Amino acid sequence: MGLGKAINEGLRRALAEDPKVLLIGEDIGTLGGVFRVTEGLKDQFGGDRVIDSPLAESGIVGSAIGLAMRGYRPVCEIQFDGFIYPAFDQITSQLAKITNRHEGHMSFPVVIRVPYGGHIGAVEHHQESNEAYFAHTPGLRVVSPSNPHDAYWMIQEAIASNDPVMFFEPKSRYWPKGDVDTEHNATPLHSSRTIRPGTDVTLLGHGAMVSVLLQAAELAAEEGTSAEVIDLRSISPIDYAPILESVRKTGRLVIGQEAPGNLSLGSEIAATVAERAFYSLSAPVLRVSGFDVPFPPAKLETLFLPDADRILDAVDRVLSY
Amino acid sequence: MTVSKFYLPDVGEGLTEAEIVSWKVQVGDTVDINQVLVEIETAKSLVELPSPYAGKVQELLVSEGKTVDVGTPIITIASEGDGQLTSPTPTLAQAAMANEVFVTDVSETVGTKDLIEEAPRDNLVGYGVAGHGVTRRRRGHAKAAQATYAANTDSSGSRRPVRSPLADAVPVLAKPPIRKLAKDLDVDLSTVTGTGIGGEISRDDVIRHAEQASVFRNIVTPEAPVEREERIPVKGVRKAIATAMVESAFKAPHVSIFVDVDATRTMDYVKRLKASPDFAGVKVSPLLVMAKAIIWAVRRNPTVNSSWTDTEIIVRNYVNLGVAAATPRGLIVPNVKEAQTMSLLELAKALEELTTNARDGRTQPSDMQGGTITITNIGVFGVDTGTPILNPGEVGIVALGAIRQKPWVVDGEIRPAWVTTVGASFDHRVVDGDVASRFLADLASVMEEPALLLD
Amino acid sequence: MVQLLAPDGSLVPSERAEEFIPYFEQLTDDNIKRFYRDMSVMRRFDTEATNLQRQGQLALWIPSHGQEGAQVGSAHAVRPQDHIFPAYREHAVAMIRGVDVFDIIRLVRGLTHGGWNPNDPKFRNFHIYTLVIGSQSLHATGYAMGIKFDGAYATGNYETDQAVIVYFGDGATSQGDVHEAMVFAASQQTPQVFFVQNNHWAISVPVSVQSRVPLYRRADGYGMPGVQIDGNDVFASYAVTAKLMDEARQGQGPAMVEAHTYRIGAHTSSDDPTKYREDSEVESWVARDPILRLEAYLRGKGVEQAFFDEVAQEGADFSSDIRRRIVAVENPDPASMFAHVYSDPHPLMEEQAAWLASYEAAFPTDAPATAVDGGDA
Repeated sequence: MGLGKAINEGLRRALAEDPKVLLIGEDIGTLGGVFRVTEGLKDQFGGDRVIDSPLAESGIVGSAIGLAMRGYRPVCEIQFDGFIYPAFDQITSQLAKITNRHEGHMSFPVVIRVPYGGHIGAVEHHQESNEAYFAHTPGLRVVSPSNPHDAYWMIQEAIASNDPVMFFEPKSRYWPKGDVDTEHNATPLHSSRTIRPGTDVTLLGHGAMVSVLLQAAELAAEEGTSAEVIDLRSISPIDYAPILESVRKTGRLVIGQEAPGNLSLGSEIAATVAERAFYSLSAPVLRVSGFDVPFPPAKLETLFLPDADRILDAVDRVLSY
Repeated sequence: MTVSKFYLPDVGEGLTEAEIVSWKVQVGDTVDINQVLVEIETAKSLVELPSPYAGKVQELLVSEGKTVDVGTPIITIASEGDGQLTSPTPTLAQAAMANEVFVTDVSETVGTKDLIEEAPRDNLVGYGVAGHGVTRRRRGHAKAAQATYAANTDSSGSRRPVRSPLADAVPVLAKPPIRKLAKDLDVDLSTVTGTGIGGEISRDDVIRHAEQASVFRNIVTPEAPVEREERIPVKGVRKAIATAMVESAFKAPHVSIFVDVDATRTMDYVKRLKASPDFAGVKVSPLLVMAKAIIWAVRRNPTVNSSWTDTEIIVRNYVNLGVAAATPRGLIVPNVKEAQTMSLLELAKALEELTTNARDGRTQPSDMQGGTITITNIGVFGVDTGTPILNPGEVGIVALGAIRQKPWVVDGEIRPAWVTTVGASFDHRVVDGDVASRFLADLASVMEEPALLLD
Repeated sequence: MVQLLAPDGSLVPSERAEEFIPYFEQLTDDNIKRFYRDMSVMRRFDTEATNLQRQGQLALWIPSHGQEGAQVGSAHAVRPQDHIFPAYREHAVAMIRGVDVFDIIRLVRGLTHGGWNPNDPKFRNFHIYTLVIGSQSLHATGYAMGIKFDGAYATGNYETDQAVIVYFGDGATSQGDVHEAMVFAASQQTPQVFFVQNNHWAISVPVSVQSRVPLYRRADGYGMPGVQIDGNDVFASYAVTAKLMDEARQGQGPAMVEAHTYRIGAHTSSDDPTKYREDSEVESWVARDPILRLEAYLRGKGVEQAFFDEVAQEGADFSSDIRRRIVAVENPDPASMFAHVYSDPHPLMEEQAAWLASYEAAFPTDAPATAVDGGDA
């Protein structure tokens, strides 16, 4: 099934297993969501559990906070990455800080689902990667599945978490199908995972970038370079153990991200890896990112977004040291 | 009796000073808690300050119209024993005492503390003027520094023993600059023993290894043969070498002279050439610089580039530069024809081709004829210098020795430098001591300052 | 405008007050004396807190001076099972709900961002202060939605049916979050009352800049009833809030109360109102003080001077107690910075807390305990 359907199944299971789970967002009920991720859920669980909200992102998140105070486990949907900003205050001033402000007397198990990223040829505000703003905010947890199996399990774990979780869904991966084991899950929510072993260079990314990295690794193999690929999965907190283990083996790290590179997630990882695996590095850590411009009109998105070639270009550079 | 000081508070979230506008009490007045003492003006507004203490006004410390910093004592109030607050409580005396240290710099009451200058003032929001990090807090012990380092190095966040700040277990422990040095010196880091903490490889380790490598490289001790003797027929190249050596050694009176020179600039130059895109893929070594030096020095001392016949000395105005090459079959001396016409890059390529051919056994007889002066690079074997034997028909031969880090005196101080011995032998029938010395000195000068080649 | 108690202390119900009189009539003499006591003690507390700030004990103080009528009346109208979402000036409501107002002092002293546990039955669902203007209105709406989904209202049982009241000021009514809170509340028909304390000033900006219409009329735009009251009339505040809350808890949907009152003091202690408003305006509102008019009413009813003296003494004692406790209060434990950022264990919190502890441990320990160490102000 596709990643979108996997999330649908995960939500379905969560709604069925815990009567306190609620979904709230624009067009998620009757329509089933603009990406059909919540399709069929209102029919099955009713309009009091799958709520079509008024068109107000701050309202969605703010009322979710109130619902959490009441003991519910709300799962908000922000329709598109670019529309999250009206809710930014409720997310960063309120949701992120409110557990701390209550000195632990209350928990706020709110999940905010955000379809994000490019590769779908959409108009402005519909293709952004703004995970970094939230990863930078203490009090939030931020994750992003790259494949249907992870999506199925991670959405359920996010809902089960007692903390606010920002769940970034790579919309370009909603439809391509993948296997989902609905019985067993090996990887916890906040773990990163090595998905392709290699010896010469480590490639790291999350969300839609993972498939680009795998492509790059295939091409590199044809050229005689063995690339190890790691799926980051959890953006905050970051599970550095597999990353450091890999860098100690390969000595070279290339990070790929759709987001603009300046002050990005990749920058943080590069600094931390340089600090913790200094003696293992044969080359500086390189980041392959979007340019530091607003996401361009769709006709230019293939130039903006890192592809396998740009990744391999960085691979060549790290190998030249 | 307790005397309490009231220190000017920050009344507006970050103010640093205020002006005393007018006192509402005088010395000797009895005041109650919250009675207005003074009106002050801040950047934001006019504010009345109520008294934190009950008692008698002892002294007004700041006069009207004066502006003082937040934290400055402005008034002292003396109070009798317990009569502080309107509602008597057992904690009164403590309250009075504690009041005194509230809005103050800690030095007033605890002068012995390290923390004095850094202690956050209790002015809450806005810390007034003082306390802006005058000195650094002194650590109790260095262990803490290691602990913090370790805490950041280990991804699991657990504390590690003090000594090793290195959490990774990797075969080669070398910082990037050291890796670069190793690369420049052609040193394989995995063969170097590190003497730093945890086996870290230092700069010295690499350099020492580089020097040793020039001596110990390529030495493979073969197994002892079973036979007691091996008889090698004298023929071919070996016969030719022997003949040439005898003719040269016993015909031409050899004199050898030597000079030590600081070749650091040559080493730098070679490094830069290596990094230059023009020389990408071309072997560059100090030999190249010496070759150019010879060509230049020959122009200045032409007689070293000549031949002796019993009737005439033939001074050649071209340089076919011979390079002594060790091959599996023995020593041969092919030469680079018309070396004086070549650019540095051409010469580098020619030298490389020459040595490659020699190693591969492809040297043609014509390559070995017509040489006018020779260079022998014994430095690659790690040897400092030697007394080379002239190639028959020539009157000069230059020996380039190993280039090593040695102590060198610069401006009266001993510094490490890349030092080498340049040696040369000459046929004394043609070349006298002064010419020989000048020639050698010219070579040394170039090794010391390659820019002379710009001449 | 609903008014029951005129500024001179006489009971003169306005026309609009008609429907609320039954709720007023439920009040006993003791109830009313209690109103007086609550307002008076909180006024005295407010003065003390202001002084403490001027003495450097508090970073700032947020005075509620002049708004006691609106707060005390509405606080007593809310039932024990209801939930209250304050802004940051509702100290009287806090006290009435059972919160130790010293915890509010702790907030402005820089010891905590919260101060009390809203889930503790002692505090009867009085939530912690929110400093971002208007944000709490959405939380209140969400909470009320939760009550609705739980079916914990509209059963006909006034003792158990729950409703939510959220307080905010005239300035907050301009905030998008407040608008959205009302949109969602109306959409979901939540059991909720929006209580606007229109104290006429948002720091230096008068309410005329916030709105061209009286604020209670905005309610109509959302399809909910809006009632304007004389906010300095504690009877009106009580009666109107009680009725609207009961209607909400019976499932009639959300409503708004606009309490016309005045911020006699500054916005906070960092503010200087003389820079932007006229003394004459302030004086005109002082003449309409909520406490004075109730005192006049009570005296008119024959309440003796002894009662007023008692209340005054209670106020003074209450305040000295606050003063006494401030000198003994301790600074927070550094580890508390990391303790509650997340509900579940988090690797960065553990790592950084450990780092800070070992870093601090590397410095020489302090001299033997003095007042500075333990009660470092």
